[in-house]
Amino acid sequence: MKISKEKFGQSVDALSSDYRLIAPVSEAGGVNYKAVKSFSDVKQDYLNSKLPPKSLFFPQHEKLISYVKNGKDVTVKNELKVEKTILFGVRPCDAKGLLLLDKVFKNDQYQDPYYYERRNNTVVIGMACKTIAPTCFCSSMGLSPASSEGADIFLIDLGDSYDLEIITEKGKALLGDLGLSELTAQEQALVDAVKSAQTTSQVDVSTITEKLDKMFDNPYWENLQEKCLGCNTCSFSCPTCHCFDISEEVCQNSGSRVRTWDACMAPLFTLHGSGHNPRSTQKARWRQRMMHKFNYFVHNNGDIACVGCGRCIRSCPVNMDMRQIIDGVNKAELVVE
Amino acid sequence: MEQNPYLPITMKLTKNLVETEDRNINTFTLEFLNKQDEENFKYMPGQFAELSAFGYGEAPFGIATSPTEPGILKFSVAKVGCVSNALHLMEEGTMVGVRGPMGNYYPVEEFKGKNLVIIGGGFAFTTLRALAVYMLDPAHRGDYGDITVIYGARNPGLLLYKEELAAWENNPNINLVTTIDRPAEGWTKHVGFIPSITEQVAPSSVNTYAVVCGPPAMIKFTLPVLEKLNFPPERIYTSLEMRMKCGLGICGRCNIGTEYVCKDGPVFSMAQLKDLPSEY
Amino acid sequence: MSSVTEEIRETARQLLADGKVDVVIGYEKGSLPLKATPCFVRTVQDVDKLIWDETCENNLAAFSYKISGKKAIITKGCDSRALVVLLQENQLVKDDLYIIGVSCQGVVDKRKIENELGEIIEATIADGKISVKGMSGSGEFTFAEVKDATCQTCRYPNPVIEDIHLGGTVEVPEQAVLFADVLEMEAKSDSEREAYFGEQMDKCIRCYSCRNACPLCYCQECFVDCNTPRWLTGGVNRAENLFFQAGRVLHLAGRCVDCGTCSRACPQGVDIRALNRKMSRDVLEMYQHESGISEDVKPALNVYSGDDPEAFLVKE
Repeated sequence: MKISKEKFGQSVDALSSDYRLIAPVSEAGGVNYKAVKSFSDVKQDYLNSKLPPKSLFFPQHEKLISYVKNGKDVTVKNELKVEKTILFGVRPCDAKGLLLLDKVFKNDQYQDPYYYERRNNTVVIGMACKTIAPTCFCSSMGLSPASSEGADIFLIDLGDSYDLEIITEKGKALLGDLGLSELTAQEQALVDAVKSAQTTSQVDVSTITEKLDKMFDNPYWENLQEKCLGCNTCSFSCPTCHCFDISEEVCQNSGSRVRTWDACMAPLFTLHGSGHNPRSTQKARWRQRMMHKFNYFVHNNGDIACVGCGRCIRSCPVNMDMRQIIDGVNKAELVVE
Repeated sequence: MEQNPYLPITMKLTKNLVETEDRNINTFTLEFLNKQDEENFKYMPGQFAELSAFGYGEAPFGIATSPTEPGILKFSVAKVGCVSNALHLMEEGTMVGVRGPMGNYYPVEEFKGKNLVIIGGGFAFTTLRALAVYMLDPAHRGDYGDITVIYGARNPGLLLYKEELAAWENNPNINLVTTIDRPAEGWTKHVGFIPSITEQVAPSSVNTYAVVCGPPAMIKFTLPVLEKLNFPPERIYTSLEMRMKCGLGICGRCNIGTEYVCKDGPVFSMAQLKDLPSEY
Repeated sequence: MSSVTEEIRETARQLLADGKVDVVIGYEKGSLPLKATPCFVRTVQDVDKLIWDETCENNLAAFSYKISGKKAIITKGCDSRALVVLLQENQLVKDDLYIIGVSCQGVVDKRKIENELGEIIEATIADGKISVKGMSGSGEFTFAEVKDATCQTCRYPNPVIEDIHLGGTVEVPEQAVLFADVLEMEAKSDSEREAYFGEQMDKCIRCYSCRNACPLCYCQECFVDCNTPRWLTGGVNRAENLFFQAGRVLHLAGRCVDCGTCSRACPQGVDIRALNRKMSRDVLEMYQHESGISEDVKPALNVYSGDDPEAFLVKE
């Protein structure tokens, strides 16, 4: 069903007293998701954001609690603040990324309130990809440039209008009755074309989890990571990477406990107070990265923790290419004990 | 909203005791401020908590008390980093933050009707003390067979809980064996490393569980001894240490394969560890 | 295939066959267009992976102390300066090093092309022209148009230290004014500079790719990771990011060899080099020192002279 961009924008803007609108905008570092005042400020033609929208729910730096010390006493305050939000224009890879993060921030014992309060108060409006980068490989990860998984409302850009699909109750409740119209035959053909598109770049992950079950001690890891600089670029640009650090920021008698993004690529990530480090080499850290995404996460949560967005490939200063590494796992010879 | 697991309760540091002669380990006694906090903090031996020294940070430590000791929690902490140093210097009466209890615990249900040998080295004795105290409690002692504790340190001054050890010496409900690495003046008990002392004094493995905690080298050399004594891996338990932050299985640094030590551990049987990558 | 590539392969083959080195650190073709990637060749069979062209942008000196054993390194002018500093700072054992010098015409700045044509689908380099098919169109560039900013001001395209030199040498281009870029920045008003660096710092995501790509950032524990005391927070904002970047520049004072690998490594396109260039110019002006240009030139921070300017201490 179809809605004009103008009418859609009016409907979104009409909600501005209750919801803030977060949408792709152009800034110095590239296109990213930022708060905008009006729907007319939203960037419509973008490949994907430079950084994934995960930071909306899991900011790179956030206060968890704050406290004030008074002599031997202390007063502790919860710093969780939440705003109702419309997150507009999320690509299928990133919408799936959010579903995967949902599984991280809620496990068999705990639920992370900072992430979940924001998540529960956000409506995700997904947007199909009409252009596909050579480094995109979502089609290999059970997605496609037009998969609506993870979105509450899903749009396909038709020029002056959107093909609009309500995916969830949350999405339905947000916009109410929009008075949608039927697609013309020409528009229908465009929608069909977008829906049948696949990424040109593909990898095979059909057996990777089972293969990795037997690869912890495989020589494949030995030289794989030799050129890796151990920086955090791939992790920070990944829609599913979620490791964090908790530290203290103090000013005289008051302070706060903050969490900041961290990454398994850093040697200090696992360093014990004693000096012992269970993952002391870049080899061990890369193995962890691959195992976590393609094996441990599958065993724990039933899904591969990679959505094929290709950001790590585009951002890596030394051209570590996830597609090649996956391929390498597929081709690695198993060591018979 | 559900309980915020990042929000610590405040507890009062009522005692900051220098535990070892090298002044490297202090035992902190923390008092619950109200009944509600204590009610919410239901724990078992082997669990840990995140302690906050406000202004310095938060770090995980094993709980050294047993739930049979109401009103307080104790932690014996070595000076290694920013948080532990701050705690060591803290004046009694200061408020500290506590999040927990976290992690799993020694399988005291599974131990019922069995003998137990508790083997500890150095300052890793904290949750083992909790376990021993729990089992020695009159309400629980009848559930278990013989209890043997083998505990060693480099020298007598480095043994934790010296008064309590002295009391256990004369307690018929527990068989205590203490050892030090090298002979020392005035020391009349065992001399030698834990693995060899274990070989000498360990009880029969029949109907017996072993719990081993200590520095990596001690564990490495004690496990083959237990194997030799026919303890099957399902009946050997240990508690692992890892760098941790959230304690909730979310922040991603303490995993061994699929298991998060903070949430799925820290207590593991050797049988479980055999199925996990050797990355700890 | 360029003749230098052939010479590199032949030299690597000989070195490995003769057992003179355990590994040759060089470049191979990357998975992305216009991108070479570091590679580590340990067997004669693998030497044909090695390449040399205008896409070999990483500073391989950054790997020189991470890879154990005897190693040969394909070394551009800037890489060689980094090796000199590393040797002077006792980070490398000279006997373990075999420097394969190659002169460098400069490397391609992919970003300049992608800003015009979008993500690159395919590209070819021939006769000094780069033909590119991008996501938003095709185009042809001369090498000069898309040369990396660092290479445009490079004064050491030829290795300053080497065990063998392959290919020809590159004539050092005349520069009427040294550090013209720095002078231009200095001529701006405070508020203009603040706005410029503010925008640059806003882009930084503190991934530390600049630090990790830098051959001279080899500290076991970087000041940003230290927690006793904690020098800066993990806050990602203008002030904290500048503190990190400025701290790094200060630590590189008299050491930075202006290879520009920090700026090229940055996924966010932060102009990190602008800060380093200013520092390099100040060190040259005040101490007549250029780092890594010869093993015989003592590092600036190791030399004291009564004539050293002390304007920050006493009126001169």
